[in-house]
Amino acid sequence: MTPALHHYLIVSALLFSLGLLGVVTRRSLLIIYMSLELMLNAANLALVAFSRFNNHLDGQVMVFFIITVAAAEVAVGLALIVAIFRRRQTTHVEDLATLKL
Amino acid sequence: MKLAFLPWLILFLPLLAAAWIMLFTRANRCRSAALSISAVVLGFVGTLTFVGANGFHPVQPEVSVTWLAVGGLDIAFGLRLDALSLLMMLVVTGVGGAIHIYSWGYMEEDRCFSRYFASLSLFTFSMLGVVLANNFLQMFIFWELVGVSSYLLIGFWYERASAADAAKKAFLTNRVGDFGFLLGILTFWGLAGSLNFEAIKEWMDNGIGFGSTDPIIVQSGLTLAGLLVFCGAMGKSAQFPLHVWLPDAMEGPTPVSALIHAATMVAAGVYMLSRTFFIYTPDALSVIAWVGGFTALLAAVVAVQQNDIKRILAYSTLSQLGYMVMAVGVYAPSAGMFHLVTHAFFKALLFLGAGSVIHALHHEQDIWRMGGLRRRMPVTFWTFMVGTLALAGVWPFSGFFSKDSILATAQHHSPALFVLGAAVAALTTFYMFRLVFVAFLGPERTSEASHAHESPWVMTWPLRLLATFSLIGGVLGIEGLLTGFYDPVGSEHPNGLAAQVFYPFAHAPVAASVGLASVAAGFLAAHWLYRNVAEDPLPARIGALSRWMRNKFYFDELYEATVIRLQDTAATVIDWFDRWLVAGAAVRGTAGVTRLVGQALRLVQTGSLQTYTFLFVLGVAIVLFAVLGR
Amino acid sequence: MSILTYILGWPLLAALALAFVPRDLRVVMRAVAILATGLSALLALKLFLLFPGAPADADGYRFVQQVPWVESLGISYCVGVDGINVGLVLMGAIVAFAAACCSWEIKDREKEFYILLLIMTGGILGAFASLDLFFFYAFHELALVPTFIMIGVWGRGERRNFATFQITLYLSLGALIALAGLILLYLDSGANTFSIPDLTRHIAEHPLPPVAQKLMFPLLLFGFGILVSLWPFHTWAPLGYGAAPTATAMLHAGVLKKFGLYGLIRVALPLMPEAAESWMSVLSWLCLGNILWCGFVAVRQRDLNLLIGNSSVAHMGFAFLGIASLNLIGLTGAILVMIAHGFLAALSFGLSGYLYQQTGTLDMNQLGGLLRRLPFIGAALVMAMLAGCGLPGFANFAGEVTVFFGAWKVFRAVTILACWGALIIGAVYMLRAVRSILHGPLNAEWPQVADAANPWRKLPFALLLASLLVFGFFPRLLSDKITPDAERIIERVDSPYGNGNVCLPGYDGAAVLTAAALELRVETDHSP
Repeated sequence: MTPALHHYLIVSALLFSLGLLGVVTRRSLLIIYMSLELMLNAANLALVAFSRFNNHLDGQVMVFFIITVAAAEVAVGLALIVAIFRRRQTTHVEDLATLKL
Repeated sequence: MKLAFLPWLILFLPLLAAAWIMLFTRANRCRSAALSISAVVLGFVGTLTFVGANGFHPVQPEVSVTWLAVGGLDIAFGLRLDALSLLMMLVVTGVGGAIHIYSWGYMEEDRCFSRYFASLSLFTFSMLGVVLANNFLQMFIFWELVGVSSYLLIGFWYERASAADAAKKAFLTNRVGDFGFLLGILTFWGLAGSLNFEAIKEWMDNGIGFGSTDPIIVQSGLTLAGLLVFCGAMGKSAQFPLHVWLPDAMEGPTPVSALIHAATMVAAGVYMLSRTFFIYTPDALSVIAWVGGFTALLAAVVAVQQNDIKRILAYSTLSQLGYMVMAVGVYAPSAGMFHLVTHAFFKALLFLGAGSVIHALHHEQDIWRMGGLRRRMPVTFWTFMVGTLALAGVWPFSGFFSKDSILATAQHHSPALFVLGAAVAALTTFYMFRLVFVAFLGPERTSEASHAHESPWVMTWPLRLLATFSLIGGVLGIEGLLTGFYDPVGSEHPNGLAAQVFYPFAHAPVAASVGLASVAAGFLAAHWLYRNVAEDPLPARIGALSRWMRNKFYFDELYEATVIRLQDTAATVIDWFDRWLVAGAAVRGTAGVTRLVGQALRLVQTGSLQTYTFLFVLGVAIVLFAVLGR
Repeated sequence: MSILTYILGWPLLAALALAFVPRDLRVVMRAVAILATGLSALLALKLFLLFPGAPADADGYRFVQQVPWVESLGISYCVGVDGINVGLVLMGAIVAFAAACCSWEIKDREKEFYILLLIMTGGILGAFASLDLFFFYAFHELALVPTFIMIGVWGRGERRNFATFQITLYLSLGALIALAGLILLYLDSGANTFSIPDLTRHIAEHPLPPVAQKLMFPLLLFGFGILVSLWPFHTWAPLGYGAAPTATAMLHAGVLKKFGLYGLIRVALPLMPEAAESWMSVLSWLCLGNILWCGFVAVRQRDLNLLIGNSSVAHMGFAFLGIASLNLIGLTGAILVMIAHGFLAALSFGLSGYLYQQTGTLDMNQLGGLLRRLPFIGAALVMAMLAGCGLPGFANFAGEVTVFFGAWKVFRAVTILACWGALIIGAVYMLRAVRSILHGPLNAEWPQVADAANPWRKLPFALLLASLLVFGFFPRLLSDKITPDAERIIERVDSPYGNGNVCLPGYDGAAVLTAAALELRVETDHSP
């Protein structure tokens, strides 16, 4: 059996939901960040699948862009997290509430 | 027209001098004074040259350029050169020149010598502008400018609170008059469609554009418009009820009082009435005549009980201005202008004489602290006497002729005003001789008076010059020139010297003899009451009336309590509303409501990003379900 | 490239350059700011002088430059001047230069201050030069936002926060309402273009339906009105100017505020003529609110800045009155008033800033006799105050008197009251300020007060005074440029009042006289 489009989409949706669950429930910045990446790649998977099944290269090109930008974003994000950890000795989101009224 | 550039030069030289002094020569006193004096003297010489080349009736009386033109509004900047303006230019530059020279001596020790001469030149420029204007708006422009130069000069010693207040009062009172003037100008523009005097005159003569068959409506409209214009003259020439500023204006330096608040600027109102004589309806003229007559009487009565030498002269100026306005009101603008010219000579002379006295006595102005000055200051005394006799109207001094021509027309048009005029003449003689008897004759009352000495030549020569003109000003042919201007065909005024000297007795013997009789009565009363007295006998004799006279019939207090109080109250109330209702309730109210709503909404903001994310995803899910789920 | 692009570009470029200048090079920062604004002032002067000889396009605009930006929406960068804004650009550039010269009082965070000042300048000049609605609005916002920041950070007085708060709320609200009106206009016109000349041409052929006009015009009138402190939306102005640093008050009161009036003249009147006519009598009464109400409020002020602030609100009333009269004379007068008041407001706020810097207070009860210590500044202040009460010789007189002539035939009672406000109430508060600050005995508290010592300190004031005097002596320099283009606008407004002709149709002389003489009735019921 060759996998059809819906198989890819189901995997993609599962990945996305897992990521979302992580973002909403976890309290460590690092884990939240990893979950976010999971969601991003779920979307990438869906894009590539659509692209493949529509015989169209647009989606794949877009994925390349996303991967590039995501790399930059990961670098900035991780750097921020490290900076926060150095300053506050914690990455627990409930401790980072300075802006809260 | 020959030498057409000369009037422009004459007009703008003083402005250039003023600007040059303020910008470059402030530190150099001599150069400032020389600049200012030469500007005005050159103006006088230039005017004489122009008159010599073109006569008093140039072929082309108007030159103008456009100052501002928008659609139907065309404001020209023009010069009107006819007998009226040329004569007035001679007065402004001639009398002005004498006073400029006198100022050099009088202001010698002042710290702000240059500023004084710059303001004086600015004044000369503005006054020449009023005189030369060929349209209403240009006249209004220079009208305001003379107002501001008067403000600057009254407030010249601004560190004295009284001078600063007087300057402010003068400007504001004039502004009230100018308000009416501007409305009058707008009305005439709306009706005649032009601002030019000649065009309006043509419009009045042809009666086009009245558009109504009902003469009553046309007449009442024109009367109102004319009276609005007259408001301007009321402010500038200090006619009742806007007369209150002029006596206070004496806070300025004495030469300023002579030039601006006696000889020229305050006469601008009379000049304007004469210039625009054609716009006034008979009703308007009778109002003008009575306002003038009432002012003349009121001021003369007040002058009787003043003790400050400059204030006496100030009230005398008011009274004489009332006389001139009355002359215009009784259909004799030529007599009014004639009196304006002679008055410029002798009133400037009197003020400069008073200035000489004040200078000699180290700024003492109370006549009861003078006395015996005849011996100490002979030139000042004799020239002052000439001025007094001219003002009183003694034949053959200049004042006699001009006053007589006013009385003669008044007798013709309104007997009541004639009687009033005669009474004012008697009062004038009375208070002037009171001044002479107390200040110049009799014993010295203070040590300062006994140590007084004559002023320097730079001050006495202008006195001599003006005294000469006060003596002969009545027979120079000025009256003939003016009657010829207003009535080119019907004028039969004589030109020979002898004929002029006796003209009043031949022309209107009743007026001349009544005038002389009132002078005699006034002199006798003054002689009887004030010869060799130590203090004023009048308060004891007339009691409360004297107190009212000394306090100027309480007009200042009346205005303080009504007009000023009213405007202040309005301002206070509106300020309160502005602060508490518009700014307070409206603005703060809106802001308060916004803040309350904000506080309510803040409860939703937990600050937990994960809650937000959850709600966000929930929202997306709901939307997706709503769109795709069915 | 059009000279206009340089005029508005230099300050913006300089702002960008300043971002890279190290913080401690204070002299360099001042020099850059003064040079950039001075350069645009010189270019603006050149523009003004070249204007009469420059070729005009079919719509009457000169020095036009158009660069398409978002073609699908019809947005393009488009600048150009006609008689209506050429004077405003010149005035704005000169005032900006003067404001930069007056900024020496700023001592902390100079870098940010000068950057904001230059952005504000570029924004203002851009707003007046733009012929594209999008840029017209965007440039205005670019200038407006720095205003708030400058008042909040460098402002003075204990009510600074309230003032910032109020001015931000009001002006954002006004700009928002105007924006709503502009967007509606863009959508309803159906021309799919933001370009003002194209829109005008399009609407001339396909007029907006009256219903749409009725909705849009009030939005623009009150939106722009709030920006110009139209009564009763004026309370932000005196407070805001009282709290603002000198340069900000000069630029905002002098130039930026005129944007609302300019918007009314450029956009609202020609594009929605029918609605404009029906609103003008309302506007004429509102402008009395400015002239009389704010005049009275100014009479009661003790603080010089609040007095000048209120008087500047009052002066806006004359511009509104000129617009409301909807004829050539009134409109030209309104533009003259805008330009003259720009110079005057900048001059007054500059001088009051100098006084504050010297004395530390502007409370008029505490000051007195300062003319002796301050011959130059004092003389300039006297002249500014006299210009403020409409003295001939200063540009304000030419504008105000033209407005009165324009309004006289349309709103008689309003004009009479406005004359009262101009001639008497104006003189009362202006002379009061002179009397209590400069005249009288010198207060012993102020021996250290010093006059402007060097030419650099005097330059901005001398420049502004000279501008006032030049346009006051020769108003034709402006009016001859304004009139042809103002006429174009008036032609669009098919007004029953006529174009300022001498005799109006149905205008019976006797009826006028009776009205003037007996009833002082307002002749405003021409509107449908």
